[in-house]
Amino acid sequence: MSNEHPTRPEDFDLYALGAFDGDEKVAFETHLASCASCQSKLGEAQGRIAALALSAPSVLPAPGVKERLMRQVAATSPRASGAWVQPEVERAEGVLARWWGLLLPVASAFALATLLLWLHNDQLERRIAELRGTVNEQQSKLVQARELADLMSARDTVVVSLAVQKNQPEGTARVIYNSRRGLLVYNGHLPPVAADKSYQLWLVPASGAPISAGVFNPVTDDTNSIVAKVPPGTAAKAFAVTLEPAGGKPAPTGPMILVGPVS
Amino acid sequence: MTGETGTELRASDATLIARLVERDESALAALYDRYAGMLSSVLNRILRDTQAAEEILQDIFYQLWRTAAQFDPARGSLPGWLLVIARNRAISRLRRHNPASGEELLENTVVLPTNLESTIAQRQLIGKVKGALDSLPKEQRAAIELAYFEGLTHSEIAARTGDPLGTVKTRLRSALETLKRNFKP
Repeated sequence: MSNEHPTRPEDFDLYALGAFDGDEKVAFETHLASCASCQSKLGEAQGRIAALALSAPSVLPAPGVKERLMRQVAATSPRASGAWVQPEVERAEGVLARWWGLLLPVASAFALATLLLWLHNDQLERRIAELRGTVNEQQSKLVQARELADLMSARDTVVVSLAVQKNQPEGTARVIYNSRRGLLVYNGHLPPVAADKSYQLWLVPASGAPISAGVFNPVTDDTNSIVAKVPPGTAAKAFAVTLEPAGGKPAPTGPMILVGPVS
Repeated sequence: MTGETGTELRASDATLIARLVERDESALAALYDRYAGMLSSVLNRILRDTQAAEEILQDIFYQLWRTAAQFDPARGSLPGWLLVIARNRAISRLRRHNPASGEELLENTVVLPTNLESTIAQRQLIGKVKGALDSLPKEQRAAIELAYFEGLTHSEIAARTGDPLGTVKTRLRSALETLKRNFKP
């Protein structure tokens, strides 16, 4: 295939799907590297294959993800980081210009010193950028830890034990919930399920339809923890875990594995 | 999607990308509102782990923020590029390995069958994709889903299902031909 175009049109879709392996994959990639026409056809195939993603059940991200993203961006934007670095450079350049007019050898020495300082500053800036990323990550974890500490200490927080239902696999779980904050923590033990299934945690409100609070499938062990946000002020009647098709469903459809009423 | 203001709703992806290059954080927020739900769904479907899906989701949009200047909207579709990146990252996490250089999509040349900038267009394509998958014979659909959502190759699908390799190849080719016909505008 390396010197000829792929003979079958669906080869592009198969490659985009990731179905090729071994010699087939090597031959396709070798040809692709030097053929603009086939690269263009691959772009269209990648679009068709990417559209398969839209068959996944709808799962909206928790609001906290966007908040963390925007905090991360704000911490690393030029407006945040450039304000104190740039004036130092400008001041160094101003000093250099004045010395240059007075004495050339001294000016040369300053120029060299400035260059060395600039290089050092550049290294420091890169190090600061790295540290800022680490700090930002730690801040996110700290915010989450504070939220959890507040949740645990709040007087209106309730702890709900979920019990396994009849004829269902062994399991236990606990939900810590604060309706005022709209925050809950789930911690439980359930056995892994088949690849085409997922467990789904539900908040059953005092009125209205159950609200999804997360989808999970134990892979390496039987412990799972979820921290989830739900609309603040939602009065919970119970919490439940159901078995659903992989990726979860907008409303519960499968058997109820665990249930715990809010007393 | 619901978080976009009226002005941001009307802004095209190309306009928002240009504003990202100018370090406009509201443009990133608008693109997040437009596409985060779509990406979250596929990440959760592949990983079945809400926390891992959210980590990758945040990471993808942060990458978009950092590398927006390299994205050329004239060459390919932003949601197409985001979906390919999301799938690659999720499959790599599922298989517990870092993507090799060739597996990470660097070029934004993905051309989606339709423009997904509006919620209505997204819903229409979702309906079209689900309808096309529903029209496939059960074995063909299973083979497509094993390849797309679990990242399995021909040989790996054959090993997983116990079907002959030739049968798996035929099923995938037939399914892709059907999907291609259905995705035509």
